[in-house]
This record gives sequence, C-alpha cells and structure tokens, in this order.
Amino acid sequence: MLSLSGTGIGRGIAIGRAIVLDQGHNDIPCYHISATALSGEIERFNHAVDAVRADLKRVQRNLPTDAPPETSAFIDVHLLMLDDPVISQQPVQTIQEQQQNAEWALKSHADTLIDFFEDIADPYLRSKKNDVAQVVGRIMDELAHSPGEQPPDLATLGSSLAEQIIVARDLTPADTIMLRGRNMAAFVTSLGGPISHTAILARSLGLPAIVGLHDVIDTIHNNDLLIVDAATGTVLVAPDEPLLTQFRELQQQHLEHQQRLTLLKNEKAVTQDGEAITLLANIELPEDIEGLRSAGAAGVGLYRTEFLFMNRPKPPSEDEQYQAYCHVLRRVEGPVTIRTLDLGADKQVDGSRPDSETTATSALGLRAIRLCLSEPSLFKPQLRAILRAAVHGDAQIMIPMLSSLHELEQSLALVGEVCAELEREGVAFNSKVPLGGMIEVPAAAVSADLFARKLDFLSIGTNDLIQYTLAIDRVDDSVNYLYDPLHPSVLRLIRTVIRAGHEADIPVSMCGEMAGDPAFTRLLLGLGLRHFSMEPSQLLEIRQQVRQSTLAGLPGQVTDILNCVETGSLYDLVDQLNQIDG
Amino acid sequence: MKLQRELQIVNRLGLHARACAKLVKTANQFESDIVLRQNEHQADAKSIMGLMMLAATQGTRLTVITSGADAEDAMTQVQHLINNRFEEDE
Repeated sequence: MLSLSGTGIGRGIAIGRAIVLDQGHNDIPCYHISATALSGEIERFNHAVDAVRADLKRVQRNLPTDAPPETSAFIDVHLLMLDDPVISQQPVQTIQEQQQNAEWALKSHADTLIDFFEDIADPYLRSKKNDVAQVVGRIMDELAHSPGEQPPDLATLGSSLAEQIIVARDLTPADTIMLRGRNMAAFVTSLGGPISHTAILARSLGLPAIVGLHDVIDTIHNNDLLIVDAATGTVLVAPDEPLLTQFRELQQQHLEHQQRLTLLKNEKAVTQDGEAITLLANIELPEDIEGLRSAGAAGVGLYRTEFLFMNRPKPPSEDEQYQAYCHVLRRVEGPVTIRTLDLGADKQVDGSRPDSETTATSALGLRAIRLCLSEPSLFKPQLRAILRAAVHGDAQIMIPMLSSLHELEQSLALVGEVCAELEREGVAFNSKVPLGGMIEVPAAAVSADLFARKLDFLSIGTNDLIQYTLAIDRVDDSVNYLYDPLHPSVLRLIRTVIRAGHEADIPVSMCGEMAGDPAFTRLLLGLGLRHFSMEPSQLLEIRQQVRQSTLAGLPGQVTDILNCVETGSLYDLVDQLNQIDG
Repeated sequence: MKLQRELQIVNRLGLHARACAKLVKTANQFESDIVLRQNEHQADAKSIMGLMMLAATQGTRLTVITSGADAEDAMTQVQHLINNRFEEDE
C-alpha cells in the first residue's frame, strides 16, 4: 500500500477505483496499459521502430547522386541509434514493467539520454543530442500514426462514474462542466491549490478532492483501489482490508454528520444573540438549483454565467441567455445575483477567439468587465437578456473585476443605453434591476467607499482578491503555498469593503471560497459580514456555525487577529475564536 | 582470449557520431565483446549510444578490451580505425 499526500479539499472520505485521465504534457500522451494489452503495446512500439528503420533505409537507397557524401553516413548513424538497446529495447522493458504506454516509455528514456548529452563539455559532441531527438521524434511520429489503447477521455467515459475516482494532471473549467452530474466519488490531481478549478468543482459537488499531489500521482494506475481522505489530504493506494474497514466506518460517521446537518435545513440562520444572517448559494448550472433548495438558501449570491459560453464555438444568442436566466429566476425564491461574463484568463471560450496569440489573457489581462467593455457585441446581449428576464424574478446584476471608477461609469452608461433600446423596441424589461460590483481587485477594495456611492451592493470575491493582493499566479503550482486567506492585508481589505458598504448603507456580501469555509465564519461575522454566498454543499455547515456563534465580543477578538504580528499564532487565534461555545 | 590496450583518440572531432558509427560497424564484424573504457566510464563498442556518451574528445586516452575467440583480430581492426583517424582527413 502507498500513502500519498497533497492538499485536501472538503472533508469527506471516498473509496473507489481510479480512472486515470491522460497525464500527458507537451502533446506526448501518458497513460496506463492494462496487463492484457501489454503485448499489443510492445508490438506497436516495435512496429514503429521497424517502420522508421525501413523508411531510413529507403531514403538511404534513393539518395540523389549529387547528395553530399556524408549524408549516407549520417543516415547510418541514425540507423545504428535505432538499433541500439537504449532506444529499441529499454523502452520495451519499461512498457512491460511499468505498464506505461509506448510514447511515455520512449520519452522517459530519451529524456535521460538528452540530459546526459546536455552535460557534455565539448560543444560538438554535445550537439549530438539533436540526433537522439531526431531519431526519437521519428518513432514518436510513427506511434502517433498508430494510436494504441486510448486513455480514458472525459468525452468517452460513461455517463455514470459511481464509485470511481477521477485522477488527472489538472482539470480545466471545461472539464469541470463535463464532469457535473456523473456521480464520481472524488477527484485527485497533480496540480492545483485550494482555489483551482478542481477544488471549486469538488466543493460545489460536495465531493472530497486531493489536489497538488505533484509527481507522486504517477504511482496511481487505472483501476487501483483508492481511499481519499480530504480532511488529512491523503490518498491511500491499494489499501489492505483492515484499513478499508476503518475508513468505511469514518465514511459512515461523516455521512451521519451530513445527515444531522440536513435537520438544520428549515432552521433560521440566526446567531445565539438573535442576529439574522443571510446565507446564499453560488450556482453555475440550472441543476445546481436543486442543491440550493435542499439546503434552504435564501437566494443566489453568485450565478456564474460562463458555462453558457463555454465548450461551444459561438457565444449564445440574447434569446438563449434570456431563456436560461428565466429558468433560474422562476425556480429560485429570493434574489438571484447574476454575474456578467467573467471570461478571459484561464476561462476561455472555445474557438470564439481564434487569434489566441493576441488574446492569451492572464489573470491580469483582458478579462471579465475589461473584455465585456472592449466587446460590446458580447456584453450588450447579456445585459439585455438579464433586464428582460428580470421581469420574471428578483434579478440583480453583478459586474466582475471592477478596478477603476471609469469602468463602472462605462458599465452604468451601457446599462442605460440598453434600457433605452429595450424601451424603444417596446420589449418588456425591468428598469429597476439593482446593479452591484464584485470587489476582487485590491484597487477597488481600497477605494470601496467610492464604488459604494454608485452601486446598489458590493460582493467580495475572495479568491481573486487574495491572489491579486498577495501577487500569486493562480495557475502557477509553485506559488500556491503563498495563498493565505488569513494574511493581514487580505483581512484588512475585507474589513475596509464591509465598512464602506455599511457607511453607504448598501449590502455587502462575500461570494468567494472563504464564505463557505466554516473555519472563517466567526472571523467574517466579527469583521461585520452579514451576507454569505457559497457552494450549496457548504450551506448547512455554515448555518450550523452561525447558529452556534454569538456576535457580541467577536469584533474585539477579530481586531486582535488583524493586529497579530506572529504568523504562527494567527491560526491559533482563529482556532480559539472557533472553539468558544456559542 | 582477452586483450587490453591503451589507445589515444587522435582525430580532431573525437568520437563523434559518424566515427562512432564506423566503430560500431567494425565491432559488429566480430564475435568478441569489445569494450572501451575511459576512467570509470565504459562503453560497449557495439552500441552507438554508449560510444557517443563516452564523449571522448581528441587526445582522450582509452583502454580497449577485446575478449572472445576473435579478440586479436578485433583489437587489430579497432586499433587501426582509431589510429587512422576513422579515415578522416584531420
């Protein structure tokens, strides 16, 4: 048995069989070969080597008479390299012993060889690594023409993945959409931190996940029995029977805890000292509404609209969006805060921006409201669809990633323009839809009082706020460790935004991951937050936490935390805060 | 039979790819095992990758070891090839 450790997401325990998705990078596929398919895979490799040899010999035979005399000698070199055990036999051993696909087995040997040549001092001899790369490249090309047993692919996997655990290098936003509703038990990924797409998906589905396992993920093979324990961030590979029994019991206990929480569904989210707290849900797909109902959310604090735009060549029409928003508005009691398009950065519309060279956007690039304002043809249909749908329910518009007041003015002008258009056209719409801003850029947080004067509500997006404040690239695995919701600067910015809202007398909510983490509930209450929006799976846990908390006294304790200069005792202080009996 | 002899790489480019290819082709004509040793590194003269990875430049001293029925012929041919600068001009 093996025990691997990474970053755990959620708290549950899952037991199931691994489905290892293609782990390849740089276009070289990497997957596990089942024992029965091994001989076929070896044959595929040998065929590729034979084909390259035949090809080289053919070229050598048919050399033009005026070819330089050393050409044939160079081809000889490649032929001899092809027949060298390092190239033609060792990969076969690796396929056999490690049950790896031919491409990956070849790559691992070629990498070793190329690394070796890189270290040679003599520049002429060092350049021979190019010959290795050329010969290996020819075999790779051959292998690409005769694909082997295909690795599991999200598109081809069955619609139900019950009791199966998805193991992947990383999940993209598009992957996470495809995985919804397929009942898998857990996720395990090599990359990613607490706010990676995998983590957010896992939380929204209420599933355990382990992210950031790095290279050790390669030790997991298809169909291995796994135990995933999110609380400790551990993956156990091929556990023995006593361990399985132990974890089945823990799993049962967790289930019972969840069931006890469901009793809270109809209880009010009121603190011990009688203050009502608004608990809202973050949703993405129409089917998320079910989870929101069963957890008794007071409404939707964040409706992500990106999914409407993803995995398709063209953006959806105004009418298609109108139908989608109506669907949600008619089914949700309470307000529905619709966030306008937050595309760009790591969430790209497939195919709609063909010129990827100029539109490769970073987290600091042309995305969200920046993209929308630069492309009114993308933004206006969405605004029209929301204003029209708002006739059928309590809709609010939320603008993501505001950083300057100018953007806010432009957005307000655009909304005014769209209203005038709809008026002229005689189309039914709601002209009184509240307009709010997401405060997730430090610039907007610092000047939240100015934004608050022009907006109907503010919503703090903690994922981006933390990333921007601490200068962390969310997709760079190597700096994930810096991600710290308790960083004093983050907490101070949150406090600034909440105060700005109170002073302007407009509601402030929080829709980032922090809002759904019970470890931070009391801290946020102490900072003055009264509206929390989270993945539906977190609602009951947070409700319990709210009901066990007393507001009086919290602000003082929280001030201590904000002024704490010992990073070690910061977490102790938050722990203490959480252990006080309500 | 087993023979061992000290040789020096004298051609300008050293044991480069085409030189290695010639050496492998020569070595393959013999049944004997033919090994080139440079300090702690050792290469099978019948493996082009092994020879290339020796990274033997001009002036490198190598120990050639041949062992087998035709060890003597093998040694003569290998020695001839190396001393003859792999039939190169310089």
